[in-house]
Amino acid sequence: MSYLEYTVKTVPSGWRKVLYLNWPLIILLTAVACVGFLMLYSVAGGELQPWAEPQMERFGLGLAAMFVTAMVPIWLWRNLSALIYLVSLALLVAVELFGAIGMGAQRWIDLGFMRLQPSELMKIALVMALAAYYDWLPMKRVSRPIWVIAPLILILAPTFLTLTQPDLGTAILLMTAGGLLMFLAGVHWAYFAVVIAAAGGGIYTVFLSRGTPWQLLKDYQFRRIDTFLDPSTDPLGAGYHITQAKIAMGSGGWTGRGFMQGTQSRLNFLPEKHTDFIFNTLAEEFGFVGGFSLLVLYVLVLVFCIVAALQNRDRYSSLLILGIGLTFFLFFAVNMSMVMGLAPVVGVPLPLVSYGGSAMLVLMIAFGLVQSAHIHRPR
Amino acid sequence: MTRTPLRPLARILQARQKGENPDAIERENLRIRHEQMRDKARVRAEGRLLVMSVMFLVAFAVVGARMGMLAASEPAEPRAHASGASIIASRADITDRHGRILATNMETHSLYAHPQQMIEPLRAARELKAIFPDLDEERMVKDFTDPKRKFLWVKKKISPEQMQAVHDIGEPGLLFGPREMRLYPNGALASHIMGGASFGREGVASAEVIGTAGIEKFFDEELRDPARGGAPLELSIDLSVQAATERVLDSGMRLLNAKGAASVLMDVHTGEVIALASLPDFDPNDRPNPPTKGSPSDSPLFNRAVQGVYELGSTFKIFAAAQAMELGLVRPDTIIDTRPPFKVGGHRIGEFEGHNYGEIPVEEIIIKSSNRGTGKMALAIGIDRQQDFLRKLGFFEPTPLEIVEAAGGKPLLPSRWTDLSSVTISYGHGLSSSPLHLAAAYSAIANGGTLVRPTLLKQQGAQFGERVMSPQVAADSRDMLRKVVSSGTASFGEVPGYHVGGKTGTADKPREHGGGYYKDKVIATFAAMFPAHDPKYVLIVTLDEPVETSGSKPRRTAGWTAVPVAAEMIGRIAPLLGLRPEYDMGEVAEVTLVRQ
Repeated sequence: MSYLEYTVKTVPSGWRKVLYLNWPLIILLTAVACVGFLMLYSVAGGELQPWAEPQMERFGLGLAAMFVTAMVPIWLWRNLSALIYLVSLALLVAVELFGAIGMGAQRWIDLGFMRLQPSELMKIALVMALAAYYDWLPMKRVSRPIWVIAPLILILAPTFLTLTQPDLGTAILLMTAGGLLMFLAGVHWAYFAVVIAAAGGGIYTVFLSRGTPWQLLKDYQFRRIDTFLDPSTDPLGAGYHITQAKIAMGSGGWTGRGFMQGTQSRLNFLPEKHTDFIFNTLAEEFGFVGGFSLLVLYVLVLVFCIVAALQNRDRYSSLLILGIGLTFFLFFAVNMSMVMGLAPVVGVPLPLVSYGGSAMLVLMIAFGLVQSAHIHRPR
Repeated sequence: MTRTPLRPLARILQARQKGENPDAIERENLRIRHEQMRDKARVRAEGRLLVMSVMFLVAFAVVGARMGMLAASEPAEPRAHASGASIIASRADITDRHGRILATNMETHSLYAHPQQMIEPLRAARELKAIFPDLDEERMVKDFTDPKRKFLWVKKKISPEQMQAVHDIGEPGLLFGPREMRLYPNGALASHIMGGASFGREGVASAEVIGTAGIEKFFDEELRDPARGGAPLELSIDLSVQAATERVLDSGMRLLNAKGAASVLMDVHTGEVIALASLPDFDPNDRPNPPTKGSPSDSPLFNRAVQGVYELGSTFKIFAAAQAMELGLVRPDTIIDTRPPFKVGGHRIGEFEGHNYGEIPVEEIIIKSSNRGTGKMALAIGIDRQQDFLRKLGFFEPTPLEIVEAAGGKPLLPSRWTDLSSVTISYGHGLSSSPLHLAAAYSAIANGGTLVRPTLLKQQGAQFGERVMSPQVAADSRDMLRKVVSSGTASFGEVPGYHVGGKTGTADKPREHGGGYYKDKVIATFAAMFPAHDPKYVLIVTLDEPVETSGSKPRRTAGWTAVPVAAEMIGRIAPLLGLRPEYDMGEVAEVTLVRQ
């Protein structure tokens, strides 16, 4: 139960809802997606196929899904949160089991028109579940240990499942998004201090153990870390992706080589140029100016989310909006750090720009939830 | 924390007096409290959001700054040679005892194709055929035009000239990968020690070099261990001595029409193998495939010195004599009756060419190489003690030499060790072992009676192994061996200036499919030690099926075959080993007299 009572009467109904949509956010998302179309068109060598056109179709589908989601009142979504979370978890377990039977190949469920990865679905389901949990939990209990353990289980169960897939990128996203949402919900900061200190201490201990008899990691694992920290030690092996990606950015310079002039991507030096590393294509062709513009678009999306959350007096709604904004931000931050060599290559797409169906559709539905919370906010 | 009551008594009573509903007051207070709570939560939530926003801002700033840094960076294409250098460091060199290179790495390139990127596959195939005549043009055309092929190897190793020629074709679908290659700059020299290396897991960017035989395989992990930091593996081999040994052995083998030959030179104090040769040999740079038919022991890959087990004949007699002296059963001057008949287990023991040496001392038994005399000592020693002694000398197990082939040189022992076995083994029949076994056992006699473990790694000093005979017995044995050369069966073994001691052994070769021995095929062995008065080295020379044809009838005994080869070898390698020639004053005087 929300601690805010509000009357449903003031909330728009029927087609009038369309007027109350958060239009600037929709325009921003479309702008980001258009950047994606442009890059996919360029990467394919000036062709709509094989990437740009399917991506547009998916975005259209995503927009439709967003509108449908937005029309459904947010309290209905709140009441469905727990169910959606459980279903997502069940699907994760299911692909894990089927995957084990089918020699570990299957990570998705075929819906006919697209393949749905339950791990993608889980990203929203977790945010919904946590928002609903903190909406239900009275404020004064938020920091009690027993009430901290429950959301931890909510976070760690899907994290563990995706980690065994193995999908390190999604696991990191889930854990970070969940943790940050708990922080926003008001869990006492001492918990976070302890976790950060423990993680820091753990990493320090691992590095301290290097070369001693009680070494905690194998030599090759340390070497992988070395390669990450300095990819130039192995430019043709493990550091290949990142070295090529950096070359692309360097060759773009401040103003870029021009649309469809990127040599790194067009001559296939850049791996995963249409998915995870699409940002480097952008940076090569439009330079720092182009890359920074995309960055500004992402900042604006996040700012609009925060503003929408602040406007909203319903605790579930504001937590949900922030959680989705957070997830979006994390996608973006992890991908950007990865392609610019600030973080290890873990396989997280650039939201709405990278080629890929599941992630796009799920993100659009998530923004549909944001819209629903915005339309049906207490006034 | 002070709590304001929801129904403050004073106000309630006041309200009652005024006739108002006191519940309104409670509702009002409840509303105020809720608002306070909400405001507090709001402030807190907004504080949290502020913290989070700052974090977002920092993250965006970092990403933006990084973007600027990368935009400003000068793109540097990764260089293949940069990685090549690190690959080369990944497998250590092998050197001889003086640091001369036996095995190192060379950077070459591999050639592969991405058929989908090819512009003119037909022309590419034609021009490749011109550069590499061994390639099949039709097959290349088929592969290059197959739409399903994304990748294929064209050539695993190419030279810089070939690489340039392929470059000049100008075909973007033909690509090169750096590739480390194992190089043996001395070619076939010491090939049986080196073994060889080939590619393990292969990638476009690099290929793993793994040892396939010899010391390369034995120390594969160590050679590949990056923790070594590229420090070379230092062997006990001396390259010059090895070269001289192989040269002499090869000439000897040809001259005597032998089908194979082996030699082992060992430092008697350290157990270091200074030179080890087996002929025929091969080039480890281009290691041949194992033969699919015929006996594997006739292949050039077969290491006769280590893997080959042979009945080494009369070279074994000194062990029986030494053990009998060690046990106090005989002394060098003890007379033993070697006249026929001497029957053991119903078998008559004969001498070479039916000789009868009569009643002679132990010393003469060794010098003349009497089977019956040695056999009688073996019977006196007894089966258990004989086995014990031979086991200590290492004749029951493969040698522990650091090449993988050593484990294959397992001695062949009689299945049932009877008195007859005991007698025949005492003169080197019925027990097969490798020349290296013999070298290790002779080293024990040469160094004064302690065991050494044969090794290919450079040692820092003498080994002090288990004592198997007293220094006196060892010295007496050496005296006998010296006399074998100065006045016995190995008289061709005299090398001017270098006193050589040793024992010959000629064993008939057993037929491959059972059924006794060949009459005209022998294994001729000479086990030598020098300088005889204080031996530093043991040399074993073994020839497979030699025959010396300068006389009226073919001669096959070791005295005519293995001994002259060994003598030539010692004459060549002793100066290389730093041994100074010593001449007996008497001899010099005699020579002077004759000249006058």
